[in-house]
Amino acid sequence: MKIYPYKRLNRPIALRVTSVSLRLPDGTRDPLDISAFSTQQQTVALGVAGDAWVSARIGLSATLPPGSTAADAPWSDVRVLAVLSDGETNVRTSARLRQSAPESKDWIGDIDVLRDDHVGRASLEVYAVATVDDVAGRSIAETDTPWVVDAMANEPLRGLALDIQQVDFRKSSREWLRPYADAPWIVDASGRVPTVYVNSAVEGLAELLGSRSGGIENKVHELLVTQMATDVWTAVFHSAVGDLEIEPDGSPVFPTDWQGEVLREMLPYVVPDVHVEEALRTVHRRRTGDAGWVELQTRIHFAAIRRAEVTKSLAGILRGLVQMNQGTES
Amino acid sequence: MIEKPSHIPARLGFLAGTAADPFLREELLQGIRGHQGVDLAKVVDPLPEEDPRWRVDPIRDLVDDAMHEFAGNRTQADAWLAPRLHASLRMTRREAADRRLWNHIALAVAPDYVVWRHLPNKSEPRTAPERFRGPLDRQCFSRLWWAAEIFRDGNDYSPVVTAFGNQDLVHTVLRSTWIDHRPSAQAVVRLLEAGVVSTGREINGLSVAINAAGATLLYDALAPDVPRDPEPLRQWIEDATTAPPVSRRHLPDGPDEEPVPKESVATLVGHFTDFFETAPVRGRDTEGRV
Repeated sequence: MKIYPYKRLNRPIALRVTSVSLRLPDGTRDPLDISAFSTQQQTVALGVAGDAWVSARIGLSATLPPGSTAADAPWSDVRVLAVLSDGETNVRTSARLRQSAPESKDWIGDIDVLRDDHVGRASLEVYAVATVDDVAGRSIAETDTPWVVDAMANEPLRGLALDIQQVDFRKSSREWLRPYADAPWIVDASGRVPTVYVNSAVEGLAELLGSRSGGIENKVHELLVTQMATDVWTAVFHSAVGDLEIEPDGSPVFPTDWQGEVLREMLPYVVPDVHVEEALRTVHRRRTGDAGWVELQTRIHFAAIRRAEVTKSLAGILRGLVQMNQGTES
Repeated sequence: MIEKPSHIPARLGFLAGTAADPFLREELLQGIRGHQGVDLAKVVDPLPEEDPRWRVDPIRDLVDDAMHEFAGNRTQADAWLAPRLHASLRMTRREAADRRLWNHIALAVAPDYVVWRHLPNKSEPRTAPERFRGPLDRQCFSRLWWAAEIFRDGNDYSPVVTAFGNQDLVHTVLRSTWIDHRPSAQAVVRLLEAGVVSTGREINGLSVAINAAGATLLYDALAPDVPRDPEPLRQWIEDATTAPPVSRRHLPDGPDEEPVPKESVATLVGHFTDFFETAPVRGRDTEGRV
């Protein structure tokens, strides 16, 4: 827990998205329906309209915890700001919200998101600032989990998606795939999002992956996908820790893009029971130091298995096999 | 030093990190021998044909001029090249975030420049691979473009030149998240200009202090910026079709975006100076004297 040298509100701000509309190149506005955002997932998907928009206006409603407007509050000049930040494009913008009525805890307003400014995901937070002990601009409360604003996604899903592409490795115009012609799939963690290239030259593989027939094919398909996902998360973890920025004092900086998301999800399984920042320092020390990197591999693999939900899909296929055998016996 | 590739593509493309890897050979990194560029062309994904922005010539010419002009002091090439690269390669941040484009420039268009600029002056020198294919604030060309984007004040590139006057500033500060707030970026340039900070240690100390104070102070509230308007940049990009090559002598103009509000910069200059004066900086005693 952070310690603050001044009084603050001791609960987080609750943030809701109330509307999303797009401004189109001809200047007209196109309101998106509520399927473009999800309160449960705390995510807004702006990709539903494809590429043809210039900016999006997100309507916000923020509820401050009790006490912000108390007559005896130790602060004055309360202001509420929405801040949109994007680690991939270094964009940081903010918008002031207005109090919906005097003495109200509810603050409303909107923030604009420019399409040219984002590739993927930006993060949206709300801060309440005030003058406390004669110091202006101090944060007295903020949202605890930021909303995700995804400029590309068609659906408001918070989890990070993989890009899966089917190509014939032998004939692909991507010549660098040709040396891998024997492999059923390979993982490329060097791109903006991790990509699995599935080799359509392997006969039957594409059909199996495309199958939605139910039955055992479906289970095999699922297991295969989780296997790929395990490969992906392992590769992604390694590329993320290999790419870390290092502060002058030698400590690693948490990445602000999807690599950061992946690290935050996997680190608790790699180095359990410590804060993720400390876990990252441990991993970095082990990787660059003399000892302990080899020993960590098992844990990285375990984290990838957890992330890919291998256990669940394996249980599914085992159950399927048992049922199949029972079917042939009777 | 290496020669430029005998085959230089006519247009920019995308070179995926994985596809680029086999070309990062030791002899290239050590500045012994470059590649011919022919094999590399096979693994590049093309960009849309009709867009005139992706012509290679203007960039290759700039790079040649920079190597000629700054043969005696290659670090100084940054301050000259950054605004000119930014004004020649007119892009949105969305486009410029794609590392594949920068990989292509570094490996296919100007590997000789990367080695010229970043090969260390020591025995058995080796260029860091991240200068070819690395994070945006480290890669040879993306760091220039992005520093120009972050430090320009609307259409005015002069703060970019000031920022590059001190390599430590760009090196330390570009990866910090607080620099993404435009008034903060301008305030730091002012501090450098005024001589409040100058050494690498001081800049580090300042950056740490700004970051630490940012845990409780919201700079966006203390020093508001104007809302972003997408139109000036779109217009500037559209004008790329007819724009002449950038001037070698005078600073070019950037997109006609609204400058950072002066009051906001002044407010932060005050705050940052206070933070710095009370911050622990290595090599400085407690009275704040260097």
